[in-house]
Amino acid sequence: MSIGIRVALGINQADPKFRRRSRLRLAAFISPIAFLLLWAWVAKIELFSPQLLVSPLEVLQTFHELLDSGELWEHLSVSFSRLGIGFSIGASSGLLFGIVMALSKRVEGFFSPVFQALRQVPSIALIPIFILLFGIDEIFKIAIVTKAAFFTVALASYEATKGISRNYFEVSQAYKLPTYTLYTKIVIPAILPPVLTGLRIAFSRSWTILVAAELLAADSGLGHMMQMGREVFRIDIVMVGVVLTGLIGFGIDRLFKWGEANLIPWRTA
Amino acid sequence: MAYSVSIMSTHTLSKYSFLNSARGWLIPVGLLLVWEVMSRQSAENAYAFASIEQIYHGLVEILSTGELQQGIAASLQRAFLGLLIGGFLGFSIGAVMAQWRVADVLIGPLYHMLRQVPLMGLVPLFSLWLGNGDPSKLVVVCLSAFYPLVLATYESLHQVESKYKEVGDVLKLSRTKTFIKILLPAALPNIFTGISFALAFAWLATIGSEILFSAGAGLGNIMMNAQAASRMDILIILTALIGLLGFLMNYLINKVGQYLFRWRNLR
Repeated sequence: MSIGIRVALGINQADPKFRRRSRLRLAAFISPIAFLLLWAWVAKIELFSPQLLVSPLEVLQTFHELLDSGELWEHLSVSFSRLGIGFSIGASSGLLFGIVMALSKRVEGFFSPVFQALRQVPSIALIPIFILLFGIDEIFKIAIVTKAAFFTVALASYEATKGISRNYFEVSQAYKLPTYTLYTKIVIPAILPPVLTGLRIAFSRSWTILVAAELLAADSGLGHMMQMGREVFRIDIVMVGVVLTGLIGFGIDRLFKWGEANLIPWRTA
Repeated sequence: MAYSVSIMSTHTLSKYSFLNSARGWLIPVGLLLVWEVMSRQSAENAYAFASIEQIYHGLVEILSTGELQQGIAASLQRAFLGLLIGGFLGFSIGAVMAQWRVADVLIGPLYHMLRQVPLMGLVPLFSLWLGNGDPSKLVVVCLSAFYPLVLATYESLHQVESKYKEVGDVLKLSRTKTFIKILLPAALPNIFTGISFALAFAWLATIGSEILFSAGAGLGNIMMNAQAASRMDILIILTALIGLLGFLMNYLINKVGQYLFRWRNLR
């Protein structure tokens, strides 16, 4: 993997042997625990007003309260359904579009300029236009997530398909493979590893953009919960939201990573 | 397999040979025509689809009031200041982590823990802590440049070939000297890739924070005002401009990189 992809994904691969040593694995907990202790201590001596900083325990307590009242589940399920719908539409259409654009010179000629130009516009800059076009309802949030996922996955699958070695196609020609077999046996297996990486990037972008969209305009969802907390100065609710967005992003990223490692036995590297 | 899933592809310009082919123009021109026709259908449509004429008038309007120039200056300034501060801190921490194992073990996990929160998710927190003005935005932009540069610096320093390090051992250079004379020059091209990523992230974070924090100057704020006033024409101008500026910055930094590292023999 190039430095670029690793930076985009935040993967730290240097010196794996060193990281695997068990004693050092325990040492990995030192700084996070120290951080939590420092946070608790600063909150306890009230260095900042309790309106600005509450202790980790209070955040946990608020988390339980929100969980018990069912409020949190509501927000979470709304966010997840938006993310799920938008991401699956965007990623699947992006995947298809990328492959077709890479394999067909004609499609590439027509669509590639528009694609390359639109790709330059960051999703977050599209939020205001999308609000005007789609209103502030569900469609707006799903559309912005779809956009974020589509372009990332389309680019990944386009470049992956372009990168398939010519030899593979020559072999398929020599064996006179039908188009269907060409796709299922050659194209898809060849592009799967880079496409999974693209899906990972696309997912983390979709999640970020969804949280941003919910902060701006929503009546439910994790972002909205934080926004409400901010408006009524409930720093504990905001912090629950911050920790949860981090955990969810991290958790699903791990799922993709697991998929990369276990679903692709023919993967090199 | 050669592929790259970059934020902005490094060889984007070569893809722009479509300027010579008629085919590539067909869809953009077609879309423009459809857009223009839609805008002329009804008063309601004219509101959602700004006509080309409206867009032109909108451009003249924000240019003549100086709003646009001011916004561009404010946003660019924020992006570069954030890149400078966040990038420098990121480079320092990445270098310290790569040089001392103790620092690596201590800082690494904390860094990876804090990095998990999407930057835009931190907006409500910063708005309570620092208000809705420039300080909050600057912190978000700094963080956006900080995270990738820690990683890029750390990784690039680790990837320096061991034979270079051995030269340092043979010459009995001190640690500082080895770092300055051997490790840093060898890692610099890769670190520069990290900087170009940090610039792209900083630009995103600038626009994002300006959209999410309500107060102050900048392109994102102009957009939010235009959205509140339902000015599609201005939104289209600004969105295109943001894309264009991002593209230009990416192009320029890649050119600078090619110039700076022309001594590197690429196979």
